[in-house]
Amino acid sequence: MALTRRQFLTLMGGSAGAAVLFQACGLPEKELLIDSPAAMPEDLVSGTDNWYATTSQQGGVSEGIVVRVMEGRAKKVEGNPDYPLNLGGHSALSEASLQGLYHPDRISAPLVRTGPRGSSEYREISWEDAVARLSAQLTELKDSNEANKAVFVSNPVGGHAGLVLDRFVTATGARHLSYEAVENNVLRNALKEVFGTDSIPEFDIDNSDLILSFGADFLSSWVSPTRYARGYGEFRQGHEHRGKLIHVDSRFSMTAANADQWVHVNPGTEGLLAMSIMQVLSADHSDAVFGELDSDGILDSYSPVNVADVVGVSADVINKIAEDFSHSEHPIALGGGSAGAHTNGNQNLKAIYSLNRVASNIGKKGGVILNPESPIAGVSAPKATNTFSEFHRLSEEMKAGNVSVLMVRDADIYYGMTDTADMKSALDNVPLIVSFAGMMDDTTSIADLILPQHHFLEDWGTDIPVAGPGYEMVGFQQPVVRPFFENRGSNLGTKGFADILMTVAQVMGQDLGLSADTFKEVIRNDARKLYDLRRGQVVSSSFEGFWNGVLQRGGWWDTEAKERAEPAVKRLDGVDRAEFGGTNQEFYLQPFISTLGDGTGASLPWLQAMPDAISTATWQTWVEINHKVAEEKGISEGDVLEIRPSNGRVIRALAMPNPAVPPDTIGIPIGQGHRDGGRYSAGRGANVLSVLDPKVDSDTGSLAWAATRANITMTDEWIRVPKFENTVPEFPRDEHHHIIEITSGEDH
Amino acid sequence: MVTAGSNKWGMVVDVDRCTGCQGCVVACQSENNIPINLEEHFNQRRAIQWIRIERYWEGEYPNVKARFIPVMCQHCGNAPCEPVCPVYATYHNNEGMNVQVYNRCIGTRFCANGCPYHVRFFNFWEPEWPESLKNQLNPDVTVRSRGIMEKCSFCVQRIQRSTRESERDNEVLEDGDRGLNPACVNACATNALIFGNFNDPDSKVSQIKEDAMKEGGRGYRLMENMGTDTNVVYLKKVDQSVEVTHGH
Ligand code: SF4
Ligand code: SF4
Repeated sequence: MALTRRQFLTLMGGSAGAAVLFQACGLPEKELLIDSPAAMPEDLVSGTDNWYATTSQQGGVSEGIVVRVMEGRAKKVEGNPDYPLNLGGHSALSEASLQGLYHPDRISAPLVRTGPRGSSEYREISWEDAVARLSAQLTELKDSNEANKAVFVSNPVGGHAGLVLDRFVTATGARHLSYEAVENNVLRNALKEVFGTDSIPEFDIDNSDLILSFGADFLSSWVSPTRYARGYGEFRQGHEHRGKLIHVDSRFSMTAANADQWVHVNPGTEGLLAMSIMQVLSADHSDAVFGELDSDGILDSYSPVNVADVVGVSADVINKIAEDFSHSEHPIALGGGSAGAHTNGNQNLKAIYSLNRVASNIGKKGGVILNPESPIAGVSAPKATNTFSEFHRLSEEMKAGNVSVLMVRDADIYYGMTDTADMKSALDNVPLIVSFAGMMDDTTSIADLILPQHHFLEDWGTDIPVAGPGYEMVGFQQPVVRPFFENRGSNLGTKGFADILMTVAQVMGQDLGLSADTFKEVIRNDARKLYDLRRGQVVSSSFEGFWNGVLQRGGWWDTEAKERAEPAVKRLDGVDRAEFGGTNQEFYLQPFISTLGDGTGASLPWLQAMPDAISTATWQTWVEINHKVAEEKGISEGDVLEIRPSNGRVIRALAMPNPAVPPDTIGIPIGQGHRDGGRYSAGRGANVLSVLDPKVDSDTGSLAWAATRANITMTDEWIRVPKFENTVPEFPRDEHHHIIEITSGEDH
Repeated sequence: MVTAGSNKWGMVVDVDRCTGCQGCVVACQSENNIPINLEEHFNQRRAIQWIRIERYWEGEYPNVKARFIPVMCQHCGNAPCEPVCPVYATYHNNEGMNVQVYNRCIGTRFCANGCPYHVRFFNFWEPEWPESLKNQLNPDVTVRSRGIMEKCSFCVQRIQRSTRESERDNEVLEDGDRGLNPACVNACATNALIFGNFNDPDSKVSQIKEDAMKEGGRGYRLMENMGTDTNVVYLKKVDQSVEVTHGH
């Protein structure tokens, strides 16, 4: 199908424009057009602000936010107090999205490479040209029956953008892989096996009185930290009895720091500990559930005395944890993070989540609440991503010349893959790399063609959260400002991601079978399906009212629409011992997520400058080491250390001793060491992901990112650690004068 | 209910809820046009954080604790920073707040010396933003130039705006209104920070304070012995493993 220039521009033009004000009550009569500050200054009343609701879905976090807009510019992000997932609180990542929107290094027009790959030499081209180039390539592959030589690698995309992407890859014949640098696959797999659910359940931390968490740094970075933090606040002080948090972890994480009890275990033994706790409980209780759970009678071999040495926790402590667990009214067990990032990760998590079976807390207050299916047929939460092993195979295929066109969207495989998977050199073999990034990331910096997408604050979308609130919900994302690069004209600037795909398909003459020609209309048509349900928190006599209502509130949800089915009890499987890359190395190398997520936050200066909770370090890559071990080795803060796993790779990081690091462990934050990502991220620090051993979880093939061991060697170099600690003088304190006062809680 | 002139603004900080997540810190930076803290600013110990999280260690591996506490300007009723200012750049307003008048400040830094809480920050440089990032700056808050002292204002601009707008619209400004709340309070997911009017006996902060300051309650003030009479009330951290009340 040939398009005239005019038709083409109309197709691309439909996405920006309307948004609905956020208000606590009442339904708005109409959509309000957001004014462009450039277009009509005489109509602007300086000093009036408006708040618009939308959703922020960066780095896997889905939060409802409201954005303060003045004179056409976004000024402030706050949590949407109505949004079921975060109820008003918001993460630093959502706040810092403003810096992504106004980032000085955003890409403002389609680009084609002019210099050698990776040289950052690009020339601007029109959207028409960029779309024509991509569609020509895809058409050629399709015509020569080689469509599967086109590969689309995206972040986990759900909601309507996921729908459009699915249709696009089906229509073009491209293969689609979704990617996360720090995978949730093991978690999702284990949850599926234990509870038979595709989504991540709601963990009712708020109403629990005992949280037993294994490796999941749920207060800082795991799955949905803002809402878990909200629940945590209530868990501590919102009820008559203060809840107790026992955190099992091989590293002293932020969650460990907030726990009443941090149980340090040897890495990879979390599942053994969970089995052992269940063994104690099965001996004490004649619960029917054990008949089903342990029909093979395997638990007996996991008695506390049998596993104590391997786990590194005394039998007494194991017995005490079991006692706490069984004596609580609403106990809950969660696991993830490093507990799932071992060769036995899936087994670990299955054992951990099975504890909830013993507590029989499924669907109960303070327990594990399963999520229902999406209320819109065909539109779902992001599916589980592809595993490390699958991406490893992809790099083999690239080397073999089986990938001709690689399309990437918010999936930084150049950065996130360990070097042993050889992705960097494999990418050299791909003739055409096309990126949809609106900002340079490492993969985009070696791309040949860039079709820059809008920032999410400029675009439409929906969110069916993978970790839903325990009832049906759809978050709505609306543009809260007009596209920042609108002034570059409609043939330059940025476009909405889904709209770009729809245009490429249209130019290729492919029918995506969507209900409309623009992404906004596709969403609006499906909103009608929600309207037709005649339930949920937005009620209106007309569809217009309903549509404005869901945009105004940031989404649609029905607190009554719950999952009622009780999944069958899954028999326990054994837990093997974890294996590590290298055996003679002195330390377990524990990568952890600090302030930059899996690296996607590195471009944003607020996140770079946000002190790490434990070390208060910023802007750099540091290595946590036990302070006594450091002293013995003559290492002090800021000494540049070389980290050497057995695979021969090396990174350098600044020593940061503290009293909580287990003596056999070093911890390194994930997120720095980018080749690009703009001025605040390029060439800064080191990427710990790049030196990991390619060990995988044996059940799923996901990267066992906590299974590397490493030696450290000193260098002559010293670099001051940029940290917040000591920026202000210490408070004078003595036994009578405290800054943090602590009470046993007995006296009130 | 909130009426201009009769208010005494204050905050309650529940240390037992705070996880040290730093969400409040970033929210404050965004709301208040705080200059970007670059790596060199941290290295020179000149990073600016109107609200900060202090972290205290206790013990050694494996019996180790890290404890967190948010610290911002305590808006002292008896503020040591106020009388030392030769130009009255910092003064006490009639709503209980300690206010910094940037236009008066001549940068003697006497107030920073006087403040026992170390919550005052000096602009050693002209703040700089790349042109495009300036679009985010809050038009309600002055950008402080080089040589000026700054600190937590209890987000006075929010109090002003919401009071003005509620008067204009003839509406009653409720306790806990999110437009009135400071940025850090709205950001905090655990509800560790609560803001309100201590002159209103029905406000949440007054109620909590009354309860917490009773014998055996969790209330305390930072460095109460200095007689600063702060408008920030802290609630003690609870740790079931400790025998008696102690602290850092
Ligand atoms: S946002 Fe709340 S929980 Fe997080 S550090 Fe600040 S006060 Fe503590
Ligand atoms: S009250 Fe406002 S100025 Fe003070 S710390 Fe909180 S956000 Fe910052």
